[in-house]
Amino acid sequence: MTPTSPLAVDIEGVGKRFIRHTDRRNSIKERIVRGRSRKPEDFWAVRDLSLQIPKGSVYGLIGHNGSGKSTLLKMIGGIYRPTTGSITTDGRVAALIELGAGFHPDMTGRENIGLNGSILGLPRKEIAAVTDEIIEFSGLGDFIDDPVKHYSSGMYVRLGFSVAVHMKPDVLLIDEVLAVGDEEFQRKCFDHLYALRKSGRTIIVVSHGLGQLEGLCDEIAWLERGVMLEHGSAVDTIASYLRRVNADEAARNPMVAAVRDDGEAVRAGDQTIRVGSAEIVDLEGMALSHAETGATFVIRIGISSPAPVLGPNVRVALQHDSGSLVTMVSNHQQGVDFGYVDGDHTVDMALTDNPLLPGRYRVHIDVFDHTGSRLIDSWNDAVEFAVRSQSGEFGQGFVKLSAQITIS
Amino acid sequence: MLTDLYTQRALVWAFANRDFATRYRSSVLGWAWSLIQPLATLVVFAAVFSIVFRIEAPPLGNGDGSSYAAFLFTGLVTWNLFSSLLTLSMTQLKSNGELLKKVQFPAWTVILGASLVQLVQVLLELLVLILMFLWLRNVGWTWILAIPILLGTMLFSQGIGLMLSIVNARFGDVMYIVSVVLGALYFLTPVLYPISMLDGQNEWLTLIIKLNPMSWYVQSMHDVMYTLVAPPALVVVALLVGGFLTFWAGFAVFNRWSEDIGEML
Repeated sequence: MTPTSPLAVDIEGVGKRFIRHTDRRNSIKERIVRGRSRKPEDFWAVRDLSLQIPKGSVYGLIGHNGSGKSTLLKMIGGIYRPTTGSITTDGRVAALIELGAGFHPDMTGRENIGLNGSILGLPRKEIAAVTDEIIEFSGLGDFIDDPVKHYSSGMYVRLGFSVAVHMKPDVLLIDEVLAVGDEEFQRKCFDHLYALRKSGRTIIVVSHGLGQLEGLCDEIAWLERGVMLEHGSAVDTIASYLRRVNADEAARNPMVAAVRDDGEAVRAGDQTIRVGSAEIVDLEGMALSHAETGATFVIRIGISSPAPVLGPNVRVALQHDSGSLVTMVSNHQQGVDFGYVDGDHTVDMALTDNPLLPGRYRVHIDVFDHTGSRLIDSWNDAVEFAVRSQSGEFGQGFVKLSAQITIS
Repeated sequence: MLTDLYTQRALVWAFANRDFATRYRSSVLGWAWSLIQPLATLVVFAAVFSIVFRIEAPPLGNGDGSSYAAFLFTGLVTWNLFSSLLTLSMTQLKSNGELLKKVQFPAWTVILGASLVQLVQVLLELLVLILMFLWLRNVGWTWILAIPILLGTMLFSQGIGLMLSIVNARFGDVMYIVSVVLGALYFLTPVLYPISMLDGQNEWLTLIIKLNPMSWYVQSMHDVMYTLVAPPALVVVALLVGGFLTFWAGFAVFNRWSEDIGEML
C-alpha cells in the first residue's frame, strides 16, 4: 500500500472522553440538591489515535474488552463525536453495530427492510431494487411477510446482516457480528464480504475471532486501553497480540507441575521404579504455564528406584480434552536406552517444535521394564496443560503436520 | 433548516409509515380508537361542565342559540393538537434509543415521523368537528382562517416538543414536570370556558391566561369556527409567524443539543 493511495477513513489524533456516571446524576433534583460540587470522573476510552485506512481494504481492530475498539468504530460511524482530533470519511458509512437494531417487532420482514434502508440513508428506489436480493440472501422465503417478532433469533440476525451488507455502503463497519447464523449462512456472509471488498468497498471489522480476521483482513490495528499499540499486516499484528496474551496468561496462571500424592493407594505395576513428579518446562528448564504450538517444550518427569533397574521404558501418553488419545512417546520408541537406573533421576522429554494444536491435553505416565511388556509403575492424569497458538493459526484436530507440498 | 427537512423527507416518511402501520396493529378497533377517545372526553366534559358547573357557551355564529359541546370540541381539538405533539415528541427519543445508539441519522426524524401520524388523528377529529358544525348549520367563510391558525398551532407545538424532547433525553424528570405543567395549562387556556367569563375576574389570573400563547390559538379557533368572526389579520399572521419561529428555534436547539444523542440515551 503506497502512502498516496486514497483513504477511506482518515483518523487524526482522535480521543474520546467519557464522563463516568458512578452514580447517575441525571435528574434535576440531584443537580439541585448536590449541585456540581463533586467533580465527575473522566475516562478516556480512546487516546490520541491516528490511523489511515486505505480505500478498498479490509481493516481489523483487535484488543481486549474495553480497549476502545467499539468506541472507535462508533466514532467512525458518527454515533459518537470525538473529544479531540478529527475523523474524515469518504463516502457513505453503514455501521453493523448490532444486527437488526432498527427492526420494529410488529412490522414484517419486508417492511423492516424498507425502514432499515431509509435509516441507513438509501434512496427509496435503490431500496426497492435490492429488496429481492436481500430476501434471497437472507433465505427467509415466505417468512419475509411475517412480523419479525415471530422470527427465531437466527432468522432475525440473518435478515439484519442481509440488510446491512446490501445497502452498498462505501465504508462498512462491523462490530462482532461476523459469526451469525449457521455454517452455510456464515460462508455466504464471508463470500459476500469478499465480493464487497473486490468491488472497492472498505470494511472495518472489530472481532475477537482472530482466525476469521487473519483470513479476511489486509491490515489490523491492535488497541489496548484506548491506545494503538501496533498496526500493520494482519499476520504480524495478530502474532504480536497473541504473544502478549500468552505472556499475560503465563504471568497469571500457575505453572504446570505436579508432585504425586496418592498416599498408600495400591499402585499398578511392581513398583521397582516410582514416578514421583511431572511438569512442563522450557528448554532452559524454566517452568511453564502452557505450551505453544510450534515451540519446543519439555515434559519433565521425576523417577526414583530403590534398586538398579535395567533399561526401563518411560512412556508418556497425551490425551486431548475431548477424550481422544493423541499420541504416545517413550524412550524406547525414540531409540534411547537409559541403561541401569538407580536412585533419583529426571527424565526430560523435549517435544521438538510442538506439533500439538491449541487445546487442553492430559498427560499419563507409564513405566515398563526393558522388554516393554511388564508394567513397573503407572500414573494417570499426572498433569494437564494447555497449548496456545502463537500466530493466530487455528486448525481443526490435534496436530499440525509439516508437509512438503508441490504442484506439477 | 428547510433544506434539512427536505433532504430527510424520505426518512421522516419512513418513520411515519412505521408508526402509522404499527399504531393500532394489535387492537381490534384500530383507528376508531383515535375518535372514541376524544369523543368520550367530549361527552363527559360537556355533561359535567354544562350541567354541573352551568358554563354557558357564547352564541353560535349563525345566531341560532349556542352549543356548549361544539364550543368545547373546538377548543379540545386545538388543545389536543398541542398537548399530543408535545407528549409524543418527548417519548420518541427514549423509545427509539436502541436505534439512535447504534445507527447515525438525524434524531429529529423519528420525532417528526411520529408527529405526522398524530396529525392524521388531528385531521380525523377536525372532520368530526366540521360535521358537528354542519349539523348545527354554523358555517362561514372564516373557516378558511382555521388553516393558518392550526398550522401555527402545529408548528408552535412541534417547536416546543423538539426542545423539550432533547432536554428530557438529558434529564429524565422533564417529562413529569411537563405533565404537571400541561395539566395546569389546560385550565389556564379557554378550552372549557369562554374567555369572556374572565371579565371582572382576578387581574393576575386574567393576565396569565392572556400571556399563555395557547389561549390565543384556542381563542382564535373559537372565533373562526364557532363564533364565525374573523380575528384581526395581525393576530392570524402573528400566530402563524410565531408558530414558525418557535419551530425554527426548537429545531435549532434540538440540533445543537442532540450531537451527543448516542451517549445521552
